[in-house]
Amino acid sequence: MIRHLFVLITAFLVALPFLWMAFAAFIPQEIVYSGELLSRFGFTLANFQVLAKEGFWGRMGFSLAVSSLVTFLQLFTAFLAAYAIKEGLKVLPFFLLLLAVPAELLLVPLYGLLKSLHLLDTVWALILPFAASPFIVFLLYGAMRSIPEELLEAARLDGAGHRVLLSRILFPLMRPTLVAAGVLAFAAHWNLVLYPRIVAGEEWKTVQTWLTDLQRKYPADWGILSAAALAATLPLVLIYLVYERRVIESVEKGLKG
Amino acid sequence: MAPPSSTQFRRAWRFNPAHLFALPAMGILALFILYPFLDVLRFSTWDWSGLSAPKEVGLENYRQILRDAAFWASLRTTLYFMAMALPAFVILAVLLALALDGQRYERPVKALLFLPGLVTLGGATLSWYTLFAPEYGALAALVPIPRWDQEVFWALVLVVLFTLWRHVGYGVLVVSARLKAIPRTLLEAAAVDGATAAQAFRYITLPLLRPAITFLLVIGTVLALQSYSAVFLLTRGGPFGGTRVLGYYLYETGFENFRLGYAAAITVIVLILTLSFAYAQARLLREGE
Repeated sequence: MIRHLFVLITAFLVALPFLWMAFAAFIPQEIVYSGELLSRFGFTLANFQVLAKEGFWGRMGFSLAVSSLVTFLQLFTAFLAAYAIKEGLKVLPFFLLLLAVPAELLLVPLYGLLKSLHLLDTVWALILPFAASPFIVFLLYGAMRSIPEELLEAARLDGAGHRVLLSRILFPLMRPTLVAAGVLAFAAHWNLVLYPRIVAGEEWKTVQTWLTDLQRKYPADWGILSAAALAATLPLVLIYLVYERRVIESVEKGLKG
Repeated sequence: MAPPSSTQFRRAWRFNPAHLFALPAMGILALFILYPFLDVLRFSTWDWSGLSAPKEVGLENYRQILRDAAFWASLRTTLYFMAMALPAFVILAVLLALALDGQRYERPVKALLFLPGLVTLGGATLSWYTLFAPEYGALAALVPIPRWDQEVFWALVLVVLFTLWRHVGYGVLVVSARLKAIPRTLLEAAAVDGATAAQAFRYITLPLLRPAITFLLVIGTVLALQSYSAVFLLTRGGPFGGTRVLGYYLYETGFENFRLGYAAAITVIVLILTLSFAYAQARLLREGE
């Protein structure tokens, strides 16, 4: 009994910010200012109109495009690298080592590197450093290892080259893992906060940077802030809801090692 | 008999064109992770604002850090933060994983718990901010909200809660994966021998969970020593620098005060701290086995 209650309360607390976000996004201004947030009920779409005026959709489209491109690149480079490791290239320790390097602490040296490469304040600063991820390599290699060797051997006897093996056999078999890895890669890039602010400049503002700016501009407009939060979160929630089972399974499988 | 070693040797070193496929990933990672990771040592000996030409100053930055009161304060803050967050993180993850194990709602609840860490950071902090703001926040109308904008302790609590909210789902998955690997027969055998549920937990489940707990502690330390996004988004280090954890101090020094060389030296110190903490924990827990 206590067990169920514990789970129920935790689940409610975890869900609360999301529920509140979805509720508060539609609160009219006058209710926010009167402070009767929970006692009076009102519904409006006006908050979203303010977002449009502030240029939200442009930032949203930009973030979607950049994070999607990064996701594609990470999956592509990791898929190839995982294959090379499976084919006997002994570089797994290299990726595991890099996995342990805390990306967040690279802020300063990465800034210096991007500066000397003349990538600072360009859109490439948001893309190139994320074109490969040791974590995704690790995840894909784990899944590739579990594919029976006989399957590949049989295809090789039929004269299949690397390209055919990769695209006709490994790719379809690994699709669930690729999807899960894609969701994780997309989320990681979408959620970068300080990094894009520092390296990408005004012109290439991502949704997350735009959100922190909005919070400074409208520090007390709960409705507008919540509408922005909801709209910026929704793409990820939707992707996650569709692929949730695969994500959880892949993470658990990856953790078992 | 032909010498087997020579064929084996040749096979081990036979060139396989598929090995070239690793080049894109390795090249990119070498350039954007490995090189900066090594380069931070060089930067840390510079007096450099990012705009001006760097000036070589030797170990001056490190000497200054040792005398820097703000650095020591932020180290203390980080340790407080860890002392609050780490045990809560591990205990909560274990309890939730145990409570969820084998329940009908295990899958949806796990999915929900994992959601915050994955889905959102900027959006989530806005939601937390509007919910928990003292005086004006939505919850302030229902329950008294401690003044985390004025009291250091409550500001830390807020950041801890936010961090737990974001990462506990991952912890649950770690423990859960381990839990599922425990053979049922072991627990059944214990029940046949008359062990109570508490005894079975204490002498079978808990020892077998140890690797997962070690892993969580190490991951948790790394997260705690480097977390600054939550601080940046929720409290901006305030009130009175009370939530200025090392990661945030690093950001402030480098990109608000434009002392990149100094910030690089802080980075090196944080790295050393992280590695030694993680190493010590892994050692201690392994010895306890």
